[in-house]
Amino acid sequence: MAEQEQSKRAPGVCIPWEEKLKELPPIKGDSELVKRVWEDVDGLGYVYIWHCLVSF
Amino acid sequence: MAEATQTQSEQSGDMEALYQARLSRYVTAMRNEKPDQIPIRPFVAEFVAKYCGFTAQEVAHDFDKAFVAARRCAADFDWDAVVGNMVYVWTGLTKAISLKYYAVPGIEIPPDTGFQYIEPPEDNAHMQPDEYDQLIEDPTGFLYNVWLPRVADDVSPMGQPTSMRNNLSFVKGGMAMMNYFQGFGTQAALLRGDSGTVSAISGILKGPFDIIADKLRGYKGLCMDMYRQPEKVLAACQAMAPHLLHVALSGADPDKNVPIGLWMHRGCVPFLSPAQFEKFYWPTLREVIEELWARGHQTLFYAEGEWNPNLKYIAELPDRSIIYHVDRGDIFEVHEAVGHKFCISGGIPNDLLAFGTPEEVRQCCKKVIDGVAGNGGYIMDASAIMQDDTRAENLKAMTDFTREYGVY
Repeated sequence: MAEQEQSKRAPGVCIPWEEKLKELPPIKGDSELVKRVWEDVDGLGYVYIWHCLVSF
Repeated sequence: MAEATQTQSEQSGDMEALYQARLSRYVTAMRNEKPDQIPIRPFVAEFVAKYCGFTAQEVAHDFDKAFVAARRCAADFDWDAVVGNMVYVWTGLTKAISLKYYAVPGIEIPPDTGFQYIEPPEDNAHMQPDEYDQLIEDPTGFLYNVWLPRVADDVSPMGQPTSMRNNLSFVKGGMAMMNYFQGFGTQAALLRGDSGTVSAISGILKGPFDIIADKLRGYKGLCMDMYRQPEKVLAACQAMAPHLLHVALSGADPDKNVPIGLWMHRGCVPFLSPAQFEKFYWPTLREVIEELWARGHQTLFYAEGEWNPNLKYIAELPDRSIIYHVDRGDIFEVHEAVGHKFCISGGIPNDLLAFGTPEEVRQCCKKVIDGVAGNGGYIMDASAIMQDDTRAENLKAMTDFTREYGVY
């Protein structure tokens, strides 16, 4: 769906990883691990608000 | 002990065989093919409460009781598939986060009345007519920053002092939602193990236009917007669509057997004219359904109300991409128009199930089966979700007649 790129926040995202990364000190270990877990948990915040809208 | 264990194991095996037979029957029909017999998949909501001696308040506010009641009905009736909890809006959660657009049984309305959705006042909608640009630019941000504080009393508006109740709303709401949704997984396993019953749907979809009408602008506000700022309405539908697709996919059946439930409200006649449907309602919803199908997921197209004037648009969807559920439309006309493309379900009027006799129900089922089910691709169900006015003896007549007469 082409419109996806137009939105400020992509589906599944509340705080984009790129935005969070700027707040962190230089990552000394596995940055992909930090990114993946950030995005997984951030996605729960997305699920919450969209299900408040759609399901409740 | 060993003998007892053997017996349990045999019973478990029998139940799994029954489950597999029902799953095959259900899926075959949904693919618009001919199964061994017509599957039965009733959307039973407050009916399950009445059948089990619960109030509407008990099943709306205590989801464990709703799950128990659904399982008891599945075990007592010979149904192929049911929804784990058709009284889907758990009002314990809506009260925990202080949502103000529901009237809850036992609180705002009598305990034996099903929960009600309250349309916002026309001059105080949850989204104002000049806020489209904010929604279009950032739907998720708009929901958190603007919408939620308006619809949830405990949530502090942006820029206002926060509070313990504000903070608690998110903790309680998040944990409660996870608890509830995880309960559906357990419920599916219990339905399968206890009665060999298939969970009928997985995941939820709403049309972009519907969600803007239901939860943001209100129906009347959105009607005005279609005339005063039509381009904004179209852009808002386009902005919402990828998110609604994402939500639908997040709950979809990973095995791609059962469909995603699409609950439609405002696209039918007389809420929208066919011309408005074509311009505003259909383009983005069609795009989402086609994307789901491209990824292998069928959509349960719950056409609540009268949708037959829009059949020519719905017929544009790819073959087998939806299961077309018929409510107030003429089911024979639906079959004529799209029966070669899609499985059809429903068509047994709710007023007949509430006020008719078992014999009248059997006659109606025969007429529907004869008219639309000859080549498969039909699932037996009432026209609309069954609330507490459905008589158990009539639902039993619908079930038993279909089992006897609906064998291919």
